[in-house]
Amino acid sequence: MSIIDIDKLSFRYPDGTLGLDRISLRIERRTLVVIAGPNGSGKTTLLKHLNGLLRPQSGSVKIDGVDVAKDTPRARRLVGMIFQDADSQIVGETVFADVAFGPENLSLPAAEVDARVVAALGTVGLTALADQTPQALSGGEKRRLSIAGVLAMHPQIVVFDEPFAGLDYLGIRQVLREMLRLQEAGHTLVVATHDLEKIIYHTDRLIVMNDGRVVKDGPPAVIIGEVESFGVRAPCVSRLGLEAESWLS
Amino acid sequence: MLMLTAMNRGVLPLAVMSLISAAAARRIGFSLRGILTELRYFLLLLGLVFAARAFTTSGTSLSDVSWLPVSREGMQDGAMIVWRLFLVVSFGLLFVATTRAVAIKAAVVWFLRPFPQVPAQRIGTMLGLVLRFVPLVFLQAGATLDAQRARGVESRRNPFYRLTCFAIPFLRRLFLSADRFTEAMEARCYTETRTDPVLLARPRDWWVLTGVAGVLSLLWLM
Repeated sequence: MSIIDIDKLSFRYPDGTLGLDRISLRIERRTLVVIAGPNGSGKTTLLKHLNGLLRPQSGSVKIDGVDVAKDTPRARRLVGMIFQDADSQIVGETVFADVAFGPENLSLPAAEVDARVVAALGTVGLTALADQTPQALSGGEKRRLSIAGVLAMHPQIVVFDEPFAGLDYLGIRQVLREMLRLQEAGHTLVVATHDLEKIIYHTDRLIVMNDGRVVKDGPPAVIIGEVESFGVRAPCVSRLGLEAESWLS
Repeated sequence: MLMLTAMNRGVLPLAVMSLISAAAARRIGFSLRGILTELRYFLLLLGLVFAARAFTTSGTSLSDVSWLPVSREGMQDGAMIVWRLFLVVSFGLLFVATTRAVAIKAAVVWFLRPFPQVPAQRIGTMLGLVLRFVPLVFLQAGATLDAQRARGVESRRNPFYRLTCFAIPFLRRLFLSADRFTEAMEARCYTETRTDPVLLARPRDWWVLTGVAGVLSLLWLM
């Protein structure tokens, strides 16, 4: 059974802008799915429906078989979301306190919260910075802190919104490495980006959105040649007719 | 300590507390210059308070100029007030520098919990968010100001025009950030029935508390 099941999902913003237009998708467990599209294509709007930050106006979103609208807290536990702007996602006054924010919201015992925070910081390699203020971290470290904050809630799905935006080469590699570790650990990853270059090599499935609709969906090798007609730049290697290469190699 | 500093005590208690404050500042690595730099704008306010007191309190005149009625009593009063206010703020600075926000939050929740109808948990969380949000507000104000300077706003002399130019984008960014912040909290299952922050008190904390209580009692009796 697929872990994400979206059926005829539509959403229109209060100003009348069409956000999503009858989207239907099924995403399998433990896959790394990239949703590409130009600005305003509906990527972020779609992601916000996965954990109930936005409610469907028609259609439905099911996570692991349960409708998000019927049990939003469950959806938020199962779907961790890493936002584009890491700064506005950081809630705690220290790295440790920020990672603890999610588990504390789950009303876990204090010892369990601490254990989860220690484990999550260890996973993303930020243990040594536990007492630092988040403002002192680099861009890549802030993004890893966001990942740790989500991991401490033990989600099954991790959703990334433009995870490489504003990062330098080192930061991109750090975040990419974490994403692959998450996939190896059994998480399902959904990544929204207009920048395919950095992740296409590791992508199991590529979905292209435009004007709130899914316009292409399939294995990257098959549809990568068509993405430019929808306002998404194809990776350099594809334009040169070469095979994709990992940014970690 | 703060309460006692704020009260109208004599020179000796204030001197003792100044010594304690200086010793504590030295212990945590604060220099006098560092404190004065941190409090530079507050020092301006203290200067105004001193001047106001010196010029408006009646008593033995220290000036031959009729329109400059500085009195000895006014200067003494002003000096004492400034000294007390400076101590209050210095102790506040030391407290903030040595206490983690999560501990302050835990203490607020612990203190408010016995009061019925007071949402202790919510107040604690809001306090934590305010502490977290203040640096962000300053960052955004700085970024907005830089963007305006880069486009030559300093050449405009009308302060209202400059204020409008600053306020509109600044407030817009601020509200957008607040929206994103709220979304991020919701995405991480924010609820008011969350795990309480733990108020930790180690033996060293109790020793310090006992010492402070002893000093306060002595100063009170002076």
